[in-house]
Amino acid sequence: MMNGHLVRLVIAIVAFLALAWIPIGFDVGLRFDAALSLVWGFGILSLVLLTGYVGQISLCQATFAGVGAYAAGMVVNTFHAGYIVGIIVGVIAAFALGILVGLPALRLRGITLAIVTLGIALVFDKYVFQDHIFDWFTGGTGGWRVDGATLLGLRADSSTHLLAAYEVLLALFILTALLMVNIHQSGAGRRFRAIRDSELAAATMGVNLTRYKLLAFGLSAAIAGLGGSFYPLVAGSVSPQPFWVFTSLQLAAIAVLMGVRYVPAAALGGVFLAFVPDILTRYGHGTVAGRSYDISYDWFSLALGVLLIAQLILLPDGVWGDIHARAVKAWSAVRMRSERRVSVA
Amino acid sequence: MSEFAAYTVIGLSVGGIFALAALGIVLIYRATGVLNFAHGAMGMFSTFVAWQIFYGWVHPGWLPGWALTASAILVGLVFAVVLGLVLEFAVFQWVRTRPPVTKAVITIGVLLALQSAASLIWKNNQYHLPIYIAPQAWTFQVAGVPIGANQIVIIVVALGLAFGLAAFLKYTRLGRSMRAVSDDPVSASLWAVPVGKVGAVSWMLGSVIAAIAGILITPFINFDTTSLTLIIIDALAAALIGGLVSLPLTVVGGFVLGLLETYPTIWIQSLGFPRLIALLVIIFVLIFRAPRGMPVATR
Repeated sequence: MMNGHLVRLVIAIVAFLALAWIPIGFDVGLRFDAALSLVWGFGILSLVLLTGYVGQISLCQATFAGVGAYAAGMVVNTFHAGYIVGIIVGVIAAFALGILVGLPALRLRGITLAIVTLGIALVFDKYVFQDHIFDWFTGGTGGWRVDGATLLGLRADSSTHLLAAYEVLLALFILTALLMVNIHQSGAGRRFRAIRDSELAAATMGVNLTRYKLLAFGLSAAIAGLGGSFYPLVAGSVSPQPFWVFTSLQLAAIAVLMGVRYVPAAALGGVFLAFVPDILTRYGHGTVAGRSYDISYDWFSLALGVLLIAQLILLPDGVWGDIHARAVKAWSAVRMRSERRVSVA
Repeated sequence: MSEFAAYTVIGLSVGGIFALAALGIVLIYRATGVLNFAHGAMGMFSTFVAWQIFYGWVHPGWLPGWALTASAILVGLVFAVVLGLVLEFAVFQWVRTRPPVTKAVITIGVLLALQSAASLIWKNNQYHLPIYIAPQAWTFQVAGVPIGANQIVIIVVALGLAFGLAAFLKYTRLGRSMRAVSDDPVSASLWAVPVGKVGAVSWMLGSVIAAIAGILITPFINFDTTSLTLIIIDALAAALIGGLVSLPLTVVGGFVLGLLETYPTIWIQSLGFPRLIALLVIIFVLIFRAPRGMPVATR
């Protein structure tokens, strides 16, 4: 058996080399979607950590991403810093908010946590991101524009450098995913899983609940914020709309739909959230049998809701979880057959 | 001083809406163990159905205004009954034994589906054409403070429904069945309590109450498909004040929250600020007074 770390590293490098080429043939709109799918991929990855590993529900991951985005936009605009500083500040701001949200979560679990995080998502959506008191942070009604910013010497201009942003995002996404798989198997990961299975039992075994729950919320928010801090670079500006409460709900819905315990499901979910609505609005109108039809963005959200309900009734472990279970079953059947043949011979 | 009294009247009528919405949440939660995040969305959809009858189509001239109002409300409520039954039979009867968190996530799917379906039909416009129960001209002056008849209707309906529901749960056979199921579904079914019927009735009732709350709020706000859906957070705050169990305390919680959210608007002109108050109330209640109803559903 080869070293597990090495195997995962090889898989990660192969995945990067395979995925890095894909958007080269795309037009600007689809390149935007490709970069956006990674921004939201980070949002779903943060839920894999928080919900899949530690068992904590959150309905405010888009808020963490939004705080990352606004913090990056503010630093780049107000202090004329390089974009990399914006990303660092965005991640730190999201991490801090995550710790803050984690504080009430110390006393809560399950449904009550869902209520509190929904409230936080709503407060940031309707108040912090929109009220004039916070104009220093949100840049007022126009939001921040980051046309002149530079990232690693590349001029960040939304129309020409989407590809560069995609490559950087992809590398960071795969690195974060690798890190998360490693966390899963480390001492911290064992403590996380102990908290997920039973907080009481974990505390009895000597797990420091305060430290590890706060750590989980902080890390999760930082991951969402890392994706979000790239949003101004990808879109050219920030506005409240992408980070409103319904995006948070959609992120949670997609994470559960795709399989909240599995890292690859995050990539799948990000692609789903970024590409499907755009492709629907692009190609979803025309005329069939004399009647014109128009498939708008709302159809995506409607389908998502219905799919989520069906999945929770039929495939509780999510789409990727179901694929994973089938693959494991098929693989063990193949192995059993070959072993039997060996023993007979 | 009269300004303060005027805000009290507004706060109480807003609170009456929160109380009504919260009553439906508590009812469904007690009887089925589902914390319904889609409650606002359900009320929103039924309200828009009533709105469609009232404003959406051309009406024959001979129909008097009150008949139009009555038929709009009736159609809205009938739709709510159907919606509640469909949700129970198509979705929630299949997940009765799942953990409460799974059921709550399913209601998020219901929320997304209902909200986007409504926004497909009625677009993302803001509507400010209300359905008046009482004529808008009916206002009373009490010590210089104008009180609209529609505001009184809200407060009376909220109080009446709370006590009516409490009496229903306490004194009727079906109400006793609902309480038995909320205490322990397994032993209730062993005692021949019709668990399926209880689920259907509570979803139906909850949906109707949500529709009533939605229709009554239309005179007071500019509403669209998202704002009515997002009333859920205020309703949840009121329900948590009632411990997710007590109907009278839930109504008190609704009124208190309505006042708490209204008074700051004397000084702070902000659409988002009331949401912050709702969040603070939720956190305060959850941390300092764990809801009595939680163990029932977390079992």
